[in-house]
Amino acid sequence: MSSVETNGLTRRFGSFMAVDHLSFEVKEGEVFGLLGPNGAGKTTTVRMLACLISSSEGSASVGGYDIGRDSLKVRQIVGILTENPSLYERLTAYENMDFFAEAYGLSDVQEKRNRIRELLEFFELYERRNNKVATFSKGMKQKLAIARALVHQPPILFLDEPTAGLDPESSKVIRDLIERLSQREKHTILLCTHHLEDAEKLCNRVMIINRGKSVIVGSPDELRDKIAGQPVLQVILKNLNQKIIEAIKDVKQVKEVDVDNSASRLIITLDDVKSVTPEVVRSIVYAGGMVLSVNTLRPSLEEAYLKLVKEE
Amino acid sequence: MRIKKAMLVFRKDWREIKRNWQVILPIIVVPIMISVFLPILLTAIPSLATTPGTPLSGFEAMIQNLPNHVQEQLAGMTEQQVMIYIMALYFFAPFFLIIPLMASSVIASDSFAGEKERKTIEALLATPISDGELFLGKMLVSFIPSMIVTSISFLVYSTVFDLLSFSIFNGTLLLPNLDWFLLIFGLAPTVALASIGLTVMISAKVKGFKEAQQISVILLIPILALVFGQATGAIIFGPIVITALIGLFVIIDLAIFRTGVKLFKREEILSKIA
Ligand SMILES: Nc1ncnc2c1ncn2[C@@H]1O[C@H](COP(=O)(O)OP(=O)(O)OP(=O)(O)O)[C@@H](O)[C@H]1O
Ligand SMILES: [Mg+2]
Repeated sequence: MSSVETNGLTRRFGSFMAVDHLSFEVKEGEVFGLLGPNGAGKTTTVRMLACLISSSEGSASVGGYDIGRDSLKVRQIVGILTENPSLYERLTAYENMDFFAEAYGLSDVQEKRNRIRELLEFFELYERRNNKVATFSKGMKQKLAIARALVHQPPILFLDEPTAGLDPESSKVIRDLIERLSQREKHTILLCTHHLEDAEKLCNRVMIINRGKSVIVGSPDELRDKIAGQPVLQVILKNLNQKIIEAIKDVKQVKEVDVDNSASRLIITLDDVKSVTPEVVRSIVYAGGMVLSVNTLRPSLEEAYLKLVKEE
Repeated sequence: MRIKKAMLVFRKDWREIKRNWQVILPIIVVPIMISVFLPILLTAIPSLATTPGTPLSGFEAMIQNLPNHVQEQLAGMTEQQVMIYIMALYFFAPFFLIIPLMASSVIASDSFAGEKERKTIEALLATPISDGELFLGKMLVSFIPSMIVTSISFLVYSTVFDLLSFSIFNGTLLLPNLDWFLLIFGLAPTVALASIGLTVMISAKVKGFKEAQQISVILLIPILALVFGQATGAIIFGPIVITALIGLFVIIDLAIFRTGVKLFKREEILSKIA
């Protein structure tokens, strides 16, 4: 069953196409990444799905509810971290949480208090609960905004750049939280980011968008394979000579050998890394090579991504 | 429509406003100054009356045209008493319809436009609070404080006036009376609600607080002129006319509220943020 499904979802601002006929599906319990450069249309897409702005064309459903017809139901089951923290600066952290808890229907006083306390403690903000949000640092505001998005335990979460403004330690806390929410608590998460690291570590599937259009969809591994081609073999030797290079080239499946003499390193492009590697190593050894290390290299998702975005 | 949710929006906004002295101070100070200043002005009238060349003859002619029930009340009063009586009980009445309009206009202009400017609107719009509840909540934030201010102003005005006029009217306390009760607790709220409804509608459509304020001032000017011109007449004609006016404004308020909710499109608010 899919939690989010869009069909030709489009948004124009005047004649400008901010989101251009996007169709995708996020399955229940999945972490789905929207990856793209600034202005790609990530925030606009999430805003349409959270019923914050209307779509110009196309349709979408969230948790089985149509975003046009059942917007109140959609808002009830969605927790959203907006691009701006969107917090009331004159109110304290607790007052902010309290307002949103009630707005999302947590009416039982004790339950509400426990939930807010639990979240504020998790994000290490409980000590500061009675301070006005205006006095908070950027990262603290970001954490409070994430806490707010979770207050009603929504089955579907939209997170627009959750690690923006966070230090490495806090980023890790958020990443671990996202992992836990999806794996243990089966939340469905739609994540906007231009952080490749986040996309790679967290997402089951990623859709790269650029100028409002979908460029490619797949798991991080699939994307790497599709965009940047097959992995290559890297061999480092103690001694490197022409005889060894010739011997490698004689192996049938080897397509190309890049030689880095200064480091005695070979980058070997071949058809099927897994099955051919033993044969390549054997040919090196027979030719008198002394192997220090052998490993497969994958182009990083970042290289793949940059290549793709530049091509567009 | 869940009133509880509208009250939730009200409480949240009220908490914010309470901490904002830039808003609170003008709303409270100006009305209270007016309600102290007006009765004091009256004590200057006796000296005015004895100054030759002031257009008091016109004033007397006007008194001749007043309806009978007012004439009866004036019978047997000295010229000074008549003047103070007319000014305090009739001529100053319009100010107390204008106080709630002024007090509410700042908050109502800020309602949606201010949240847009401070970038807090997005999370609010994402909540499952319906359009009607949001709209009503934002109206209450302007309405309740402005009615509190109006009531306090009325209390101050009556007290100061009674203190000053106690001896002039030989120990009779003239305020409050039925006309003024109807004015403050019937007509003032219903007139205020109409203007608040329109201002909140504008605030949801424009880009920022300043724009909302400017448009609402332009819109308020004809209402103010009307109020100023007609309020004295209404109160002179007595409780039945005031009650009829209250009824009329209740209908206008309902119409404005329904149109406001209908025209309120939350999906448009973020589209026009730039
Ligand atoms: N309300 C609006 N009015 C006009 N244009 C808009 C509006 N909102 C977004 N846009 C335009 O739509 C495009 C997509 O914006 P969007 O905010 O969705 O990008 P994004 O992918 O979230 O970028 P970023 O990574 O910088 O957050 C941009 O060109 C932006 O200028
Ligand atoms: Mg964005």
